[in-house]
Order: sequence, then C-alpha cells, then structure tokens
Amino acid sequence: MAWWLRKAGIEGETRVQFRPVPPAMTEAASLRGHTLDVLGLGVRYGAFTALDNVGLSVRAGEVLALLGPSGCGKTTLLRTVAGFVRQTAGRVLIDGAGIDDLPPNRRRVGIVFQNYALFPHMTVAENVAYGLKARREAAPRIAARVAELLEMVQLGALRDRRPAQLSGGQQQRVALARALAIEPSILLLDEPFAALDRSLRLDMQIEIKRLQRQLGLTAILVTHDQDEAMSVADRIAVMRRGRIEQLGAPVEVYDQPATLFVAGFIGTTNRLPCTVDGMARLRLADGTPLPVPAGALPPGPALLTVRPEQLELRDEAGPGCFPVELGLALPLGGQTVREARLADGTPIRLTEPRLGAIRDLGARAFCGLAPGARPALFPRPTPEEE
Amino acid sequence: MARRRSASELSYGLVIGSLAALALVVLVGPILIVLATSFTDSRSIRFPPQGFSFRWYELLLDEVRSRQIHRAVGNTLHVAVVAAGLATLGGTAAALGISRVAGKAGRLADALFMSPLVLPGLAFGLAALMYFTLLGFRPSLELIIAGHLVVVTPFVLRTVGASLSQLDPALLDASRSLGAGPVHTFRRVTLPLIAPGIAAGAFLAFMASVDNVPVSLFLSSARTDMLPIRMWGMMESTLDVRVAAVSGTLILVAFLLMLVMERLTGLTRRMRG
Repeated sequence: MAWWLRKAGIEGETRVQFRPVPPAMTEAASLRGHTLDVLGLGVRYGAFTALDNVGLSVRAGEVLALLGPSGCGKTTLLRTVAGFVRQTAGRVLIDGAGIDDLPPNRRRVGIVFQNYALFPHMTVAENVAYGLKARREAAPRIAARVAELLEMVQLGALRDRRPAQLSGGQQQRVALARALAIEPSILLLDEPFAALDRSLRLDMQIEIKRLQRQLGLTAILVTHDQDEAMSVADRIAVMRRGRIEQLGAPVEVYDQPATLFVAGFIGTTNRLPCTVDGMARLRLADGTPLPVPAGALPPGPALLTVRPEQLELRDEAGPGCFPVELGLALPLGGQTVREARLADGTPIRLTEPRLGAIRDLGARAFCGLAPGARPALFPRPTPEEE
Repeated sequence: MARRRSASELSYGLVIGSLAALALVVLVGPILIVLATSFTDSRSIRFPPQGFSFRWYELLLDEVRSRQIHRAVGNTLHVAVVAAGLATLGGTAAALGISRVAGKAGRLADALFMSPLVLPGLAFGLAALMYFTLLGFRPSLELIIAGHLVVVTPFVLRTVGASLSQLDPALLDASRSLGAGPVHTFRRVTLPLIAPGIAAGAFLAFMASVDNVPVSLFLSSARTDMLPIRMWGMMESTLDVRVAAVSGTLILVAFLLMLVMERLTGLTRRMRG
C-alpha cells in the first residue's frame, strides 16, 4: 500500500492482516497455557439472580464463547472473572489458584471492551503503554514492547494518533494490543466485533483467532451472535437466565441441542408437535409415524426439533412422510430455502438442492426426514414453561 | 400555498429577529453605555459622554486618591481567589462523591449542595451575618470567604458533575484491568478527563465571588470593604465617574478571561451541560 494512504489511515477499513507474532512473544511462556475454572458461581442483586451456580473450565489455549440473549448473565460472568463484580457464591480459579480476593488490577486478566474503552486523551502508543507504565516497567522496555505490539497489529504508522482519529477497526486493534501488552493470563473479549461492519468483522474474527492460536492464549468471548461463536470459539456455553444450558463444541451444540432453548437459539430450527404413544413410538400431530427413537421420553405430547437441512421433499408418499403445502422459495447461493406448511398449518422451513426441479408455489408434496438425520426430541413445554 | 408558507416564514423570521434585537438592546446596550461613559471628560456620570479622555482611568490608578478602591479591589481578589480555590477543591470532591452514590442519597446530597443557587442571596447574607455574630465572630475577610464559599461551590459542582456524567465507566474498568490501582486510575484517567470541567467551575466560581453583592453586603465592614459595595457607595454619594471606569475594567477583564477559558475548556459548551 502506498505510504501516503497508510499515513492518512485510509487502509483502515480494507483488509487487515496482522503481522506474524514476533518470536520473542510466541516463546514467552507467560501468555501460554493458562487455565480458568469457574466453580459454582452465583451472583445475586437483591432478589434478582444474575448467575446461578455456574461452573465451567476453560482449557489452556482454548477460546470459550459465552452465547446467549441479552440479560442471560454472560456479561455478569465476564465481569465476575475480571473482578468488577463480587460473587455471592462460588470461586474463580486461574491456573488452579483462587483469585476471588484479588482486585481487578491484580488479576492479570486482559479485556477488550465492547466499545473498546480507549483512553481518549492519550495517543495510540500511550494507550498501549498504559498497563506497562502502571506496572512501573523500565522506559526502554515499555518503548520496545509498544513498538512490537503496534507492529503486530499493523498500527505502527498511527502511533501518535488519538483514538478519535481512528476508524472502528483500528480502534479495536489498539484495544487488543493494549490488552495483550500486560501479558494477560486470560483474555476476555466482550462483544468485540459488535460495532464493526460485516465484512470487517469476519476479517477481525479470523485475525484474532489466528493471533490467539499463535500466542496460545486462553480466551473467553462474550457474544449474542451465534455465527461469531461458531466461527471463533472452540467450545460454546449457551446461557439463559443466569445458567449454562449447554456447554460443548459448536458442532455438538448445533447437532445435539441439550434443551429446547438451545435448539431454538442456535441456528434455524423447525418445531414439529408430536406425541409419544404407549409403545414409545413417535407420531406427528396428523398421525404419521416418524422413524425417530422416542424411548427416552414418557408417553405424552412432545416437540421434535428438526434443522431445515434434515428435511427433504418427495413427490410420493412413503413411510415417515407427511403431506405439506409449499410456500415461497428463497434461492440462497448453493441451496434453496423453502417455506412450507403442514396439514395442520404448522409452518416449516427446509432446504432443497438447487439442481433439482423447482417445485411450484402452492403445490402439494411430501416431506420426510433426510437419511441419517438425527433430530432432537423434547417433552412439549406447557405455555408457562416457554 | 407557496405564498402562505413564505408569509409564515417571514413572520417567523421577523419574530426571531426582533427578539434577538431586543436581547441585544437589553443585554449589550447597558455595557456599551457604561463603557462609553467611562471615557467621558465631564465630572459626572452622564450619557451621552462629554468629550473623550482617559482621566477617570488615570484617577483610578492613582495610588493616593483611589486608595479605598484599591483596598476594596485587593479584598475582593483575595476573597475570590481563596473562595474559588476552596470551592474548586470541595466542589470537585463533592461531585466525585455524589457520582459514586447512586439513588436517593446521591440526589439528596446534590440538591443540598445546589440549594444556595435557589436560596435568595439576601436571605442567606442576613442569616450568615446573624449566625456569625451569634457565634461571637467579628467581621473579617475570612467570614466573607466562608459566605462566598457557600454560594460559589454549586458552580463547581455543576460543571464537574457534568464532566463526570460524560466519563465512560468502561474507561475506569479498562484502567483497573490493565493493572492500575484506584489512585493511578484517578490521576491518569479520571482527573485529566474532568480537568476542563474543574477549570470551568473554578472560573465561574471566581467570577461569581468577584461580583457577589448580597453576601458581601451583610458580611463586609469598613475594614473589609468589597469592590461591588464600594462602587455602590460611590455611586450613591457622588456619582463618581470612576465607578464607570471600574465597570469598564471589570468588563474588559471578564471578557479576556472568558476568551482564555473558552480556548482552554469550551466553557459555553459546559455551561449548557
């Protein structure tokens, strides 16, 4: 890129690739291999329970995403780990040692804040140097480290700018460099990509993931964006009402949702009302028997959650097939998303391969489970439980 | 249609324009008149001024013949500097405390600190005089400082409070997470970011003390003469043109200070907040 473009900061919102991490930093043992354990953590504000007996372990070098709707407790959990919120029950351990009694400034937990929280009265370099100065490191060491970090996030040319003169993506890179400067044992990312536009967000997700891998950082990512959690995290903890509903690898959480809430929150899902009969067989509301093992559930009303790609359309009736009336077809790249209705009016969505013949709107067809599909089955909740 | 809209636009412009003109006449007019009068060559305050001279300003600077005025100026500056200084310290501390106390207690403390702005100054001046006399104090500059402190602290509280409410709490969290303790955080983050609010508050407190009449009226004595009181006295007895010269000087000094503060802190922006 031309020097004058770089000088004007115009390269900011185009593709950014971080420099390879300097060898001195990858070898530094201080960043690598830290673990975080949260044991039976509870936080109450008066009658309101923000966190209820939360337990999780983040392995060394792992990114764990806390995913959930707003108010689910994920930010409270992050702030408790950082030391800004004092828990009413439970413990937080880093590398096996309790940090519950340490104030936030002695926990060595790096945070990238949602709005970046850069100090507006300091330059980029001063922001990055802040933590090192607070620790009273020697000036030459601070200077060398700041230069190294700014080089890594490709901001060396903007070191004397104020945060207000930077684009959103540049501000985020400063925030990241500033958090890494203190060699944190755990990196906390609080919705760090929420303020970036879509194309830049993907770039930054890839770059942060790459950096985290190279440095061997242990990180927690708070997000309400499931795609972000899926793409950046090694494991996902889905939270709701102060509790962890499910903790597992992204594929696991997607394919085998532990609860109805997880099934609905992650990805798109169809909810088909069914009944389990006395012989542990599953029948759709219209009576169609479905080839899904239902032995784990007691007889009674149930809900089958099926991903759109686990359903397929057929022209003829067959075992396990139920009639549907076809609705709109939305061609999305390689697949067509098709809306349809069951006989009782329940709306569903399914995906069709683009290569097949396009069926007409309003046509009747039959729908069945795709071969190998393993939909999840739950007892049907009462209206109060929902 | 177009005609009607242009008519309404015209009347709107007319109303706004005449209001602005009225404001100029009422607010700026007197200042111009007093300024013009201070350069008169005649022996009494009268408008329009007769001739042009600096003689009243020269007389004002005369150490012997304007000794009483000089002493009043000295007292006034002494009181204003000390009162504004103490108010800046106290008001800033109060604003910091109030910003940390959520809910009713914080609002109550804020209302208490702000109440001198609402309380009639004359009532407070009289009350302070009676109270201090009751306690057995004799009139002194320290008492005037104490009185002024009460009425100028709200200015500092207001401007610093406005700065603090604009301070992003995430910045303080960020500082803590980077390893800085509360003291380091206050010195390196909080203080630099609210400094313009503190400076604006100090300036407003200083100016409010300099031209405070009601409190000084009750608490000053012949020995502790204050400039506004002395000016009123001169005006009452002799129509002394030096009063106009003093006013002219005050206007000039206030204007220059205002320019400096605007440069440094964006004062007008802060007063709106």
